[in-house]
Amino acid sequence: MHDGGHAAVMEAHWGGGAAPFGASWQKTMMWIFIVTDALLFSGLLCGYAFLRQASTQPWPKQSEVFSIPFIALMTFILITSSMTMGSAVTAARLGDHKKARTMLAITIVGGLCFLGCQAYEWSHLIHEGARLTGALPGSALAAEGVPPVFTQAFFVLTGFHGSHVLSGLIILIVTFVRWSMRKTPSQGVEMAGLYWHFVDLVWVFIFTLFYLL
Amino acid sequence: MSDTQAGTNPYRIYWVTWAILLAITVAMLAAEEFHMPRWFLLVFLVVFMMVKATMIAGNFMHLRYEKRNLAVMVGLGILATSLILYGFVSRESVHVLQQTIR
Repeated sequence: MHDGGHAAVMEAHWGGGAAPFGASWQKTMMWIFIVTDALLFSGLLCGYAFLRQASTQPWPKQSEVFSIPFIALMTFILITSSMTMGSAVTAARLGDHKKARTMLAITIVGGLCFLGCQAYEWSHLIHEGARLTGALPGSALAAEGVPPVFTQAFFVLTGFHGSHVLSGLIILIVTFVRWSMRKTPSQGVEMAGLYWHFVDLVWVFIFTLFYLL
Repeated sequence: MSDTQAGTNPYRIYWVTWAILLAITVAMLAAEEFHMPRWFLLVFLVVFMMVKATMIAGNFMHLRYEKRNLAVMVGLGILATSLILYGFVSRESVHVLQQTIR
């Protein structure tokens, strides 16, 4: 293919030739992974919808089971860490090594805070009698009439999301160390960023569909 | 990426997106206080949830700067699959509920 023809294909919305998405193979693979992972959460959320819609017991009011301001704080932490991650990606691309490092560090702290909040929330609910199989007989949650499918949906949805936050944190820490040692290019920070933003994206759906609706 | 070339401050888009996301989150939290009809609350929350998701994917994940076919594969692919799945699941859940009540 002539250079001009190749450029025309690359510039077209639906073209791309050997690079159909006009992106590096690393970025393309990361996006494909994100799509498959998003479909996993889509399946989990649809499973939750099934359990809730088919439940004969009334669905408890979330504000009576959870502290919604606390969940809002977790959302604030995750959105803020996503903002600092975006700044880290841009700083890395612009070659601002120090700023990228600082922003990565703040993102890691945000992720740790989120996980800490989630650990606290889980501990609190388990203390209240929540189990994967339902509320313990005689517990505070059982007295509130919380159906078993409620605690099942809670542990599965937040557990899967929490495991993604944990793996995202490991990726961020590795990226931080490698970036500090100047062993990773800016693209490494960008890939870690894509995953971290995805974790934030999933939380938007869980927060709305499970905690608010 | 054109965001670093177009604006004077390449970090501005993150601050602006962050502020809008927080404002939307506060509006979603406050919505329940207004005692609106259930169906309206549902539409309100789902619409704002989609707005938040679009902003994160577009501005934070830079999907708006990628080639359109990547954005379509990601956005439309996930959305269409999820809607089809939810359609089946929803229908089945109504059936199961009716069977259980009977």
